[in-house]
Amino acid sequence: MSVVAHLPHRTPTLTDTEAAHPPALELTGRRPLTAEERRTAETIFGEFRADGRYREYVLGCLNCGECTTGCPAARFYDFSPREMLQIAAVGDATTLWDAMQEKIWACCQCYTCNMRCRFGNDIAGIISVMRELSVRHGLESTRRVLAPFNRSLTLLMTVGTQVASDMIQPDFFRDWGPFAAAGEKSWDADPHLLRQAIPIDVLQTTTSSWEVSVQTSLELFRIYEEAGVLDMLRGLDPDLTEMLIDIIEERREEFEEARTRYHSQLAAMHGPVATFSG
Amino acid sequence: MNPVLVLGGGPAGLSAAAELASLGAPVLLVEKEEYWGGNPRRWHYSLLAPDLLPAEEVLNPLVSRVEGAPLIERHLRTTVSRVEPLSSGFRVELKGPETSGWREVSSVVLATGFDHFDSRRKYEYGYGRYPDVIDFKEFEGMIHDDRLTRPSDGALPKRIAWLLCVGSRDVQVGNPWCCRMGCAVSIKQAVEVRQKHPEIDTYVYYMDIRTYGLWEDLYWKSMNEYGVKFIRGRIGQITQAEGGKRLLATGEDTILSRPTEVPFDMIVLASGMEPGTGTKEAAQLFGLPVGPEGFLTPKLSDLNPVESGHPGIFLAGAATGPKAIPDAVTEGMGAALRAYKHARG
Repeated sequence: MSVVAHLPHRTPTLTDTEAAHPPALELTGRRPLTAEERRTAETIFGEFRADGRYREYVLGCLNCGECTTGCPAARFYDFSPREMLQIAAVGDATTLWDAMQEKIWACCQCYTCNMRCRFGNDIAGIISVMRELSVRHGLESTRRVLAPFNRSLTLLMTVGTQVASDMIQPDFFRDWGPFAAAGEKSWDADPHLLRQAIPIDVLQTTTSSWEVSVQTSLELFRIYEEAGVLDMLRGLDPDLTEMLIDIIEERREEFEEARTRYHSQLAAMHGPVATFSG
Repeated sequence: MNPVLVLGGGPAGLSAAAELASLGAPVLLVEKEEYWGGNPRRWHYSLLAPDLLPAEEVLNPLVSRVEGAPLIERHLRTTVSRVEPLSSGFRVELKGPETSGWREVSSVVLATGFDHFDSRRKYEYGYGRYPDVIDFKEFEGMIHDDRLTRPSDGALPKRIAWLLCVGSRDVQVGNPWCCRMGCAVSIKQAVEVRQKHPEIDTYVYYMDIRTYGLWEDLYWKSMNEYGVKFIRGRIGQITQAEGGKRLLATGEDTILSRPTEVPFDMIVLASGMEPGTGTKEAAQLFGLPVGPEGFLTPKLSDLNPVESGHPGIFLAGAATGPKAIPDAVTEGMGAALRAYKHARG
């Protein structure tokens, strides 16, 4: 068999034997898939193409490159929305697998590519479908890529925000560069205080506006449970999932206690009242 | 015989009028602008692709044929404001400085043409904001009059880029069609620049080059005889650099698969073809159907591209879609023949 047939963009399938005896490693520059990985790749490819959003998001491509032009990630990483759309449109199981290892996580989901696309493709959308599949299938690379974001993920799952106010500091965001750090000094004010002064029109300080009521938090978590997000996450990081469940259990108890307390107070004031179930 | 009304004095209308006169039919030629020649004259087209023939050598004979024909009654700055059908032919109301009022005509040739896309609609290219971003219809006039200087400071540019398909092949602005001439005209402009100033660096940013048919020769010549450079990929945004002295074109070289940023002294936008204002008005006035693109649609675009489907109304030129001058002239002749047959009864 010729080596060319095994270039990543040309190989429709590899048999188990071929996968066990990697051909043309020096050409592809990547480890060949194991038989199990190959099966997962084929499954993911099938699910990806069958996804209801696929037809809606991937329309066609003139390869003009305007999406990549506006892409902030393309300026810093070996990443191109045009390439991602090409893979989505004409790629095979192997190419899709390769793209889903790390590249999909370079996208910052700013949707500039969508805005620029003269064909109306939803490129950021199709990338988020790929991300969803990679989490759902618990890919090892996804686990590795997402590991540093555990705190954000915890916040997202429990209160619905990605960052807490104490995280918005130059120490946490090295990519702000020297100006943000210098700015903090030159303003000669506590950044916490500055942030609190921003939303004058709603009379909310950033501290209070970031607070999430326990009901909202529980409702949010209930949606994650019902929509299968929690199961999806369990495949990727069982420990984190257990921790999240613990946090929410505590909140539920907290809420129950508060409710009981409220009802007993009401009863003390007005006599027994009908209680709501659920 | 009542005259045949020819609406539009561009290449297609002039050709139709001259042809009708040569057949012995009286013609009523009406043009809303104050000159003959349509868009080519309006924007002072320089050389014409692909043979690099001066536009005057094509337009002037067309105009003089019309002006020298006693059977042709010509009216500039004149429009048709109302139309009524007759048992055979139409009654049309003209409005203009020389003639106003109702006239009877035996048949109608609509040669109402196109408008260039307004490049301001693609705001990311900065046309209308940055003086050195130029629409290629304006660039035609610049090379025609030999004033190849930057509007911002009057200096001779050192490096010029052409960006193809501005307002063409773009679903986002509602123009999914190809303008058919943008590639050839841009390449021709680059060749003209290199002929006069070989020291100027010229780049063409493209997603496809559509110098169809025999026009391909121009594309090859531009590279091997004139050294025009081609970059496969589009400029996605234009900003100012070096304190406003130059333009910065950000794009992707899709062959190298790398984002690029290149400073230019001038960037020329190849704005596409849209249905002309006159074409839209004519469609309403005569109650003719338009396609999804807004151009007039022939009843049988393959077998008979010059017949509207409405008896006595014939179509020619860019009113039915983007068209090069030779095609518009040919369609003018075809429409003239059919209109003549209809007028004869």
